[in-house]
Amino acid sequence: MQLPPESQDDLGWVVSQRLEIFETFRKTARLRGYNEITTPVIEYAETFTNPYVGMNLKTMLKWFDSEGDIEVLRPDWTIAIARALSSEHSSRKKWAYQGSVFQTDKPGIECRQAGIEIVDMDPVLGEVECLLLAHQFLQDIHIDPYFIELGHTGVFEALTQSMALGKRPKEQLRQAMHDKNKDEVYRISKNFSTDEQARELTELVDAFGSTHILADYEKRWKNQEHLLHIIHHLKKVIRLLEDLSDQEILIDLGRVKNLPYYSGIMFRGYSKTSGSTLFSGGRYDHLYHQFERKRTAVGLAFDVDELVQNTREESRPSRICLLADSDTLGAAEALRTSFEHAIVDVQFEEVDKTTYDKIFKIVDRSGQYEVIKE
Amino acid sequence: MKICLALTKGRLETQCLDYLKQLSFDVDPLIEKGRRLCVETDQFKVFFAKGVDVATYVENGIADLGIVGEDILMEYQPDVYNLLPLPFGKCRMALAGIPKEKELNRKYRIATKYPKIARDFFQEKGESVDLVKLEGSVELAPLLGLADDIVDIVETGTTLKENGLVVKEEITTFTARCIANRSSLKVKRSVIMPFVESLGKVAAL
Repeated sequence: MQLPPESQDDLGWVVSQRLEIFETFRKTARLRGYNEITTPVIEYAETFTNPYVGMNLKTMLKWFDSEGDIEVLRPDWTIAIARALSSEHSSRKKWAYQGSVFQTDKPGIECRQAGIEIVDMDPVLGEVECLLLAHQFLQDIHIDPYFIELGHTGVFEALTQSMALGKRPKEQLRQAMHDKNKDEVYRISKNFSTDEQARELTELVDAFGSTHILADYEKRWKNQEHLLHIIHHLKKVIRLLEDLSDQEILIDLGRVKNLPYYSGIMFRGYSKTSGSTLFSGGRYDHLYHQFERKRTAVGLAFDVDELVQNTREESRPSRICLLADSDTLGAAEALRTSFEHAIVDVQFEEVDKTTYDKIFKIVDRSGQYEVIKE
Repeated sequence: MKICLALTKGRLETQCLDYLKQLSFDVDPLIEKGRRLCVETDQFKVFFAKGVDVATYVENGIADLGIVGEDILMEYQPDVYNLLPLPFGKCRMALAGIPKEKELNRKYRIATKYPKIARDFFQEKGESVDLVKLEGSVELAPLLGLADDIVDIVETGTTLKENGLVVKEEITTFTARCIANRSSLKVKRSVIMPFVESLGKVAAL
């Protein structure tokens, strides 16, 4: 029997590590005061494709139900949780989830995630809380070195506000910014603005790197109140993060939102060794407007499959084999308890030595048990 | 920290190495590589692949940067940074065929190696067409009756002319482009950006 393309079985270490990550995430989130939430894996497509959300139906796993409505396998957690919380009237603000999302344009189709959603919290507190949880959780699972990148949806919105961009040119311009395609950014924006405005937007493509960029743009935008407010907000978040963690932070002022509901700070965590994206998230206050609820919301999601690939070797527990026989089994089982943090295997037959970090043989010397390291 | 660079094999490879030489990069190990597909210099780890594979390697982070034709980016839409145009690899995408009036009593049939580009072009024009995907020698299709016209890359126009075909409409023009992996550009910014800027300085002249 074969599997469909991109579907796969997982065995052994990958599964163990994944479950360990989920367990650690639950513990970290619970101790920071998060409530757990889960939503069904099957939802209506409309939840994700309506104009407030704007996800692409083409990349969803979908089918018609008996009424002719399109149902999908959950392609995104944030929106599903917003739907679930739209009818929730409790005062609980911090929510944690874990499970799979499904999109056909992602390798493997199924992507395991763990994440948090924070609603109706002070903006700075909510955003810093997201990043501090990320810091603590990634430390707890012994992740390889990583850095956080911050961006803000308001920068592109402010710089294009005066351009009378129609829907299509605006999307083309947003895509060109997303691709850091400077010649295309200049070409499109020049058609809708002065040369100076077009050049400013084009230069923004390169506004990524260390946090010093903020000082440059603070001077450059000293007379532009809205943009200056964004810079000050980012600086405040960074100052708090620097006080509370030793995490390297980078800025990308040219970053644009991928989905229409993002409305403020955006963050992403990259592994320094593999370059993979470990987590991403941001603010999306507009998401709840579709439910006629005025709520602020911020959150992030960890890519658990990437976390599995990026945990440090030394974080894996050592594997120990106790070689015994029917006479020494009792002694071997008693010995097992002395290896508190190791994976301990008891075997009767010679084993593949490459599978274990240490092998001990239990020998019966006339009723006295001797433990010999092999 | 070396940059891993994926280059498109063939004509673009030659033009790219000439260009890098102009910029005073040491490309001798790349020129003298023989049949090796992967070469390391003092500054770069370079490998050579087909254009569409260059985009795939960059998208998946195997290569930090890639030099690839814009036609590949337009057709396959890889999720990469599309940083800048380069002053070589110039060509155009065109609708071409036998110089006669199109018959309108059946659906128009187009042969192409670039179904996305062709579909977008006709969608923009509001025309409904059938596409026949071919892998090479697309010019044969109208001659043998497989399709009415073709959508293909035209460089000099010699192949079209020698097969009795003409350009009926230019769709767009292309150059080679420098692309970057989305994470690499951030993680290896300190080494990638100076190289990209040096490519861009001459490209802008």
